This record gives sequence, C-alpha cells and structure tokens, in this order.
Amino acid sequence: MNEEQVWLEQAMKGDQVAFGKLVEAYQTPVYNLAYRMLNNSGEAEEAAQEAFVRAYTRLESYDPAHKFSTWLLSITSNYCIDQLRKRRALLLSIDEPLPPHPALHSDGAKGPEAQAVLNEQQQMVQSLLTELQPEYREAVVLRYWYELSYEEIAEMMDTTVSAIKSRLFRARRQLAEIGLERGLVPAMEKELA
Amino acid sequence: MNHDDAFALMMDMLDGEASADRVSDLQSHLRACPECSSEWRALVAIDTLFRQTPALSPAADFVSKTLARLPNRRMRLWAMGTIYGAVLLGGLLPLALLGLLAYRLMPVLSQPTLVESIFESLQTTQRTAGIVMSALITGAGEVLVQQPVYVGYLLVIAGIIFLWGGVYRRLLVMEN
Repeated sequence: MNEEQVWLEQAMKGDQVAFGKLVEAYQTPVYNLAYRMLNNSGEAEEAAQEAFVRAYTRLESYDPAHKFSTWLLSITSNYCIDQLRKRRALLLSIDEPLPPHPALHSDGAKGPEAQAVLNEQQQMVQSLLTELQPEYREAVVLRYWYELSYEEIAEMMDTTVSAIKSRLFRARRQLAEIGLERGLVPAMEKELA
Repeated sequence: MNHDDAFALMMDMLDGEASADRVSDLQSHLRACPECSSEWRALVAIDTLFRQTPALSPAADFVSKTLARLPNRRMRLWAMGTIYGAVLLGGLLPLALLGLLAYRLMPVLSQPTLVESIFESLQTTQRTAGIVMSALITGAGEVLVQQPVYVGYLLVIAGIIFLWGGVYRRLLVMEN
C-alpha cells in the first residue's frame, strides 16, 4: 500500500490531517486546471477549494481501480464547467478582462527578463484558451498539462474517445489560427523534422 | 494526400502516434504543399507554447484555507449511523407490535361471524357511497337543465377569475 492509499484510507475515517497531505500533493494540478478553465485567480482558488471539499465529502464514491488524481481532476473540471455555464447565464462575457494570476506579476526565482518572457507566455496561453468553448478548453488543458490519454480524458468528460479526438482536432486548429492572428511566431522549418 | 488527410496525420504526429512511414509521407506532402506547411508550422508553435508553459500554483495558504472548509466527517458518519439506526428501529418496532397484536387477537379475528360482519359492513358502506354519488350527479344534471342561466353566470365568473389571475401574474413580473 503506497502513501497515497494510506492517506485516503485515513481520510475516509475522518482524518483531516491525512486529507491535508492529499491537498498538499494535488493543490497545483487542481488549481492549475481551475485557473486555466476560469481565467481568474480568485474564482480558481474558490473552485479548487470546493473541488477538494467535494472530494472529501464523497470519498466513499471513489473507486480505487482508477487513479485518485483523475477522479479529483474530474470533480474540478465538472465544477468549473458549471461555473462557466452560470457565468454565461449571468450574461457575463468570459472575454472581459479579468485579474491575472498573481504569479504572472511575481518576481519569483527567475531574472526579470526570463520572468517577463514567462509572463508573456502565460498571458498568451490564457488569452488563447479563453477563445475556446469550455468543452474544448477542458480537453486541451487535460491533454497538455496533465498528459492524460484520450481514454482518460474521455472517461473524465463522460464521452467517447472519438469525441475527444474531434474536440482536440478542432481546438488545435482554432488555437493555431488565433495564435497567428495574435503574433505567435510559426515554428521554423528545422523544427519540423 | 489531401489537406484533410494531412491534417489528421499532423494531429497524430503531435500526439506522437504516427508511424515512421506516415511521418515520411507527411514530410513529403509538407514540402509540396505550402498551405499545409504553413498550418503545420502554426500547430507546432501552439504545441510548443502549451508544452513549455508551466502549471500555476495557488497561494501559500491554500492548504490551510481548504482544510478550514472541510466538514467534520467523523461527526457526519456518527450522525448518519444514528439516523439509519433510528429509521431502522422506527420501521421495525411498529411491525413487531403489529405482529404481536395479530398473534394475540388471532382467536377473536378468526371467528366466522366477525369476518362475515366486517364483510357486510364494507358492502353497506360501498352501497351508501354509490347512492350518494348518483344523487349528486342526478341533482347537478337537473340544475343544469332547469337553471341554465345560473350555470352560465358561474362559467362567466370562473372565466373572469382566470383572466384576472393571468393579468395579476403579468403585473408581478413587470414589477420584478
């Protein structure tokens, strides 16, 4: 039995310290998913916390045959999709400028130039992601940051592998088109081989 | 190879799922087709951008804030256990009492005269209900034939109430 399974078992019995270890281990993937989906640091933090609370209250329904991380990310993405739908219902455009992630302004351990490049890169990625429909955005985020297989993404999004392939197909094409419009430099010939 | 085939192959290449032969086919196509070549270069740029962009971390106090929001699971488990126990007892106790009562009253209940009298009283109740219902229906039918004006008034009043209900609802919506 690995460390994670021990924490899970203890958390099921109501041990919040053990669940805290799981929160510590998965805070970045959960928060990153929420931020990529919602494009707002405050909402992303709220969504990530809510996802952990939901996971804690529904631990009985977790099937150990699957990865805990996949189950947790699935709860997060479902919550984010609901939030985006509510946002749309409130007629708030997701295109309106939202406060960027604090990390985009922090100095961090990198030098100012490297940080500036990274900030620009993060902003470009977020601006491209917000152009996608929520379901496309979710598939792209899960594919690129979590390196999940098509099967795993399909299971998480409760759809088929072919539907996921089709979403990624369209999303990549759309991203490439918008990226070029926004000044993304195409790859050089030598990078193609 | 047409553009759509080439694009499908580009997707496989980005996912690392294209065989060496197919990669070679695509490269030949890209050399001959400027349109696909341009698309491929844009796709590679997007792919590189996304792969090189690191994940973002939450604020330093994220774990403590999250833990502060967790419900007390032990208390919940205890409360659920108590509720289930109470419901189980609540369902079993009356059943047991009924069984005991039936067992104690069995000699009386099994008397043929008692069973017959219960059956007769049920039949009488049914007959009475039938008479009352048919009297009501006949009476209503006679009123309809003898006093059609009153029935008309009633219908008009019902219509007015219905219409006013609609107008009132509309007014409420407008106020909100």
